[in-house]
Amino acid sequence: MSVHVSTLQARISGESTASSPLSTEEYFVNMGPQHPSTHGVLRLVLRLDGETVREVVPVLGYIHRGIEKMGEHGNYRQFVHLVDRMDYLSALANNWAVTMVVEKAAKMETNDRIQAIRTLVCELQRIQSHQLWWGVFGMDLGAFTPFFYGLRDREQICDIFEKTIGARLTMNYIQPGGVMYDIHPDFVKDVKAFLTYFKSKMPEYDALMTENVIIQERLRGIGKLSAERAIALGATGPVLRASGVAHDLRKSEPYGLYSQVDFDVPVGTTGDCWDRYWVRMEEMRQSVRIVEQLIDNIPEGKTFLVKPAAKIKVPAGVHYSHVETARGVLGVLLVSNGKDAPYRIHCRTPNFNNLWCIGEMATGGRIGDLVATLSSIDIVVPDIDR
Amino acid sequence: MPADSVLPPAESVATPEVLPPPEKHVGVGGAIHGAVPWIDKSGAVGGVFRAIRSLFGGMKITGGYLMRPSTVVTQQYPENRETLKLPDRFRAQLAFNHDDNGYHKCTLCRICEEACPNVSIIITGREKPAVSKKELDSFVWRLDSCTFCNTCVIVCPFNVLRFDGTFESSVYDRRLLSYTLNQYAGPVASVLEKLEDPEARKAAMEARDPYSGAAIIAALVEKQKATKIAERAAREAAKAARVAAKAAAAAAAAQPEAPPEAENVG
Repeated sequence: MSVHVSTLQARISGESTASSPLSTEEYFVNMGPQHPSTHGVLRLVLRLDGETVREVVPVLGYIHRGIEKMGEHGNYRQFVHLVDRMDYLSALANNWAVTMVVEKAAKMETNDRIQAIRTLVCELQRIQSHQLWWGVFGMDLGAFTPFFYGLRDREQICDIFEKTIGARLTMNYIQPGGVMYDIHPDFVKDVKAFLTYFKSKMPEYDALMTENVIIQERLRGIGKLSAERAIALGATGPVLRASGVAHDLRKSEPYGLYSQVDFDVPVGTTGDCWDRYWVRMEEMRQSVRIVEQLIDNIPEGKTFLVKPAAKIKVPAGVHYSHVETARGVLGVLLVSNGKDAPYRIHCRTPNFNNLWCIGEMATGGRIGDLVATLSSIDIVVPDIDR
Repeated sequence: MPADSVLPPAESVATPEVLPPPEKHVGVGGAIHGAVPWIDKSGAVGGVFRAIRSLFGGMKITGGYLMRPSTVVTQQYPENRETLKLPDRFRAQLAFNHDDNGYHKCTLCRICEEACPNVSIIITGREKPAVSKKELDSFVWRLDSCTFCNTCVIVCPFNVLRFDGTFESSVYDRRLLSYTLNQYAGPVASVLEKLEDPEARKAAMEARDPYSGAAIIAALVEKQKATKIAERAAREAAKAARVAAKAAAAAAAAQPEAPPEAENVG
């Protein structure tokens, strides 16, 4: 942490790159860690020349909880609930990532019903994550109304989760060997009611923000990220796809029932804020398509194939598995020494790499656009620090 | 496109061979929802009108909701307490499943205690020689450290535990967040036997109700604290008495020599 800051301070004494013909001086601004638009305790050190951003350096560590280290002190089942606290808007996908690597390594069986339920709830959570992002994005741009509408519609999905899972945010639902509960008897009915409702609300989303001239003017051409740089920085998810790279693990390495459903991967062209906005709006529609195809065809079967209290022993070695969360690729690396607790767990979280693109996107832009750029990455800070 | 050389697309992804022209969005894999048109307000007068119309489009939605009070989704929370029922599976408060006679099936196997990721469940019990079964003294659940992961509920082989939707669990004292879940929790039998009054014995064993007062653990702690405070007060009083007596004795001894001391000072 101190390294970044001292590096920046060293640059003050160096050559100024101020471009104005007037004798201007570069200065530093700390954005955060208590800033409403950094969505958590994230600090950005900005080097500014007037209103032009010369450099953005994220400073992390304010919400580091040592989740990876904590995972070494419990068994595999006890680690699953910790990853809820990483990217809390994709808690189910996080559960699935850990579950997948444990199931793959320990060669545990699943059936189609389990995979269908997992796919369904993950897609529902992708929608609710993007709904929350849509609302917060509007609020960051100065429009307060989308925040209400986004959270109002997100509440419908939260209610569905409350009935089936029993939680709204920290789910701990997808477990090695199955899912914690079978779906609620009302699940299918509720999801269908939500789809009908949400499809009628999407035009409102478009009329309120997408077609708004102010939103378009503020997003177009702002925070550009080229495909080459996006790949080099390790960006994934909508940030990468907005830059024009059609990489989606649901298509390229299908897991769950994604290989059986028909959906498109929206791809942007220029990698600006508008493309990221548009990709996420389209992903919501594609998730609706996936849910529509699966909701009537949930196969029969058991939902938990092992004893919940049974110890899981993973053979010694290094195991890796990854899923596509609402923000990108979450990979879990598991080093096992053959016991029932992990020797080492590392999570490759999407937000960490996505955040580092901010330097590429915001440099050279205006400070007013920085908020829009940061919000278009859709970061969740606990996922960065873990 | 260099991107493709770095990251080869999988077979199922139909990546376009040539990058599509700028300002046009494409979906991979087939037809996609029509992209929202750009409002190009530069130059043409019509563009300006479309821009203004887009602003009114948003206002129309907001105004529409303002005119239709039936679309209000806000819940008046403290007022709707009677009708507000959370789903059965909602994880708010850990509870025991009791049968009609008020008995539970906990056998002290401690599987839930082992499965708990952060020691939020503390079980104390002992062997019961008469029926050769273990007897549960207290099943303590600490809400303050619980992460509501639901693991204890699903691992219980006898279906003793459940999470219920009693969500109003905030208190002013952190110690009140330790719950004793089994119905006959309280002092151990050797202590209970010393209570001769049956009413007092019953009160010590009563089930913990989150809204009717302090938990028994907290009450015991309070009692212990009160005893300590009383003891300390007694000690201090005795000390003060000793000091006062000593001072009085010293004063009595020093009184005859007081005048010469005063002269010295003067």
